[in-house]
Amino acid sequence: MTDVDQAMAWARARAAGPQRVPASTPSGAGMRRLVETEAGGVWLLPVLPEGAGPTVLEELGLTATPVEQPNDTARVLAACLRCCWSEPNGSPWPGVVASWEQVTSVFRGITDNRDERYSNIALVAGVRRLAGAGWLRWSETTREVQLGPRVAAWRDPELSTLRELWRLIPTIDKPAESGQVEPA
Amino acid sequence: MDDVTGLSFDDLAGEAAVLGVYRQVFAVLARESGAMILDASSVDVDEAILGSFAEAGPEGLTVEQVVLACGRYSAAQVRRRFEVLREYRAVERVKDRPHELYHRAAFAPYVMLLFLRRIADRGGQAELHQLLTLEHLSVQESGATVDDARGTTQRLSTVFRLLANQLAGLAVGGVVETLRENAQLLWGNHGLLDQANDVHQTVLSRWSELDRECRALRLAIAAYRDAVDAAAGRLIEQAGATRALGLLPVEAWLSFAREAEVGALSDVLNDFLFDAPAPWFAADTLIEAVESAQHTTPVRVTPPRPQTEPGSPTEDVVPDAEAERLGALAEQLLGDRGQVGVTELIDEIGDWLGGRRLLADLTAMHLHDTLPYELRWSDRLRIDVERNLSWVTEGRFARVTEMGEMTETGRS
Repeated sequence: MTDVDQAMAWARARAAGPQRVPASTPSGAGMRRLVETEAGGVWLLPVLPEGAGPTVLEELGLTATPVEQPNDTARVLAACLRCCWSEPNGSPWPGVVASWEQVTSVFRGITDNRDERYSNIALVAGVRRLAGAGWLRWSETTREVQLGPRVAAWRDPELSTLRELWRLIPTIDKPAESGQVEPA
Repeated sequence: MDDVTGLSFDDLAGEAAVLGVYRQVFAVLARESGAMILDASSVDVDEAILGSFAEAGPEGLTVEQVVLACGRYSAAQVRRRFEVLREYRAVERVKDRPHELYHRAAFAPYVMLLFLRRIADRGGQAELHQLLTLEHLSVQESGATVDDARGTTQRLSTVFRLLANQLAGLAVGGVVETLRENAQLLWGNHGLLDQANDVHQTVLSRWSELDRECRALRLAIAAYRDAVDAAAGRLIEQAGATRALGLLPVEAWLSFAREAEVGALSDVLNDFLFDAPAPWFAADTLIEAVESAQHTTPVRVTPPRPQTEPGSPTEDVVPDAEAERLGALAEQLLGDRGQVGVTELIDEIGDWLGGRRLLADLTAMHLHDTLPYELRWSDRLRIDVERNLSWVTEGRFARVTEMGEMTETGRS
């Protein structure tokens, strides 16, 4: 990989976040290769040094990148994580493909007593937002959801918290209309 | 030298000698006669000049030889520094006679220079350690007198007071960057404090009459320790949990990013790989969001509520301009009568626009829950094609005397 290629790859990552490239592309320095399940492509995720992640912003008193409807968006991500993280003992990446119905039912399980129409609006908006930021991969045509490359940026301590979350969220097999969730 | 007249000739001579050494010592810090140097390069030239004298041996050097020996620096610069050194008598003529060309250097300025270099390199900490060790040795000596011990204690008190003052000022009111630059004052202070305490202990146990001086030293040491704690606390608070005291502060980066030219900015960022700005979801955020969703009340559209609630305390306090207007109008329409026919009122006005406005007002009076008026429609309809208002529903507008009770006369 030449210096120019490297510089270009870095510039792309700085400007647009994780990049999907053909599997044959060599990865530059400081990039983590995330291979898709079908091996059709590779995502290059910038690796930040330990302790230099987005959490530092809070310590330094800087505002993080704002997100609209932060709570609902986080809930959507949690629902997708529950559906797509097939083996919570391992890494969430790459995970499995989840159908729209699965995600909907889990999301409704999280926000149990909410009007269906609002719940759908929040879900679609949240999925679009997360897909734009690289947290999810979403196909509008097939309406299938997968986890995005950014989930690989969670470190081990956070993953163990997320495993707890995974267990906290009601399972997909449970009928959605029961509406009750297990106590936290 | 407060009282010159009281001093003997010997004292004066002694003071003059001390002053002479002072002058020599500070020559390396003088830019011109009477002014301090502002740049480190002058000190380099001084060092070179003094070095060349050391090479030359006891015969000394002429100005030209010195300039030649210091070939690394420009001749004008060397000459200027040479003049300054000579004015402070750090460089003297070998023999004090007119037209003497050979000069030699005193050793004190060079020693001072060495000290300055060391202090500049290490912030004076090492010198302070050495000073403390020396002072400790001197008070431990069997031949040490009470005056030696007093001197030692007072000197150390002064040193620690000065240190503490500087740090405390920075810690309380200073800019954090300045504090960060002076952070070397904070380092290794445990050793310093221990040494100072040792000296204090020795002095106190050997000369109990130096109680007051020891107390001053104790206070000074405590003040220094407090100042160190305050300063370290401020730095740590500023640095966050990363404890990266060596990192540039946030403000420096922000202002640099705002003000730097594109070239400079790209040079700096060239070696940094970072992610594009994107929302980050920490695990705790997800858990909080999910848990809070399970405790929220159902999202429902709020049902329409009456704008005013009878008997609510705010109603009595806030005057209702609309009610006042309607009440006045109603009284004007009714006059002394308890009730009046709507047709009558409409006919008085006679046109569509006015009639419509009147009907709106009447309805508003009827519906207003603090106004005692009522509008009742009958089933009868007056039709008169000749008139401007050809269709008029008959009705009665009446005053309600009691709450919920209407004047019965209004009913036909």
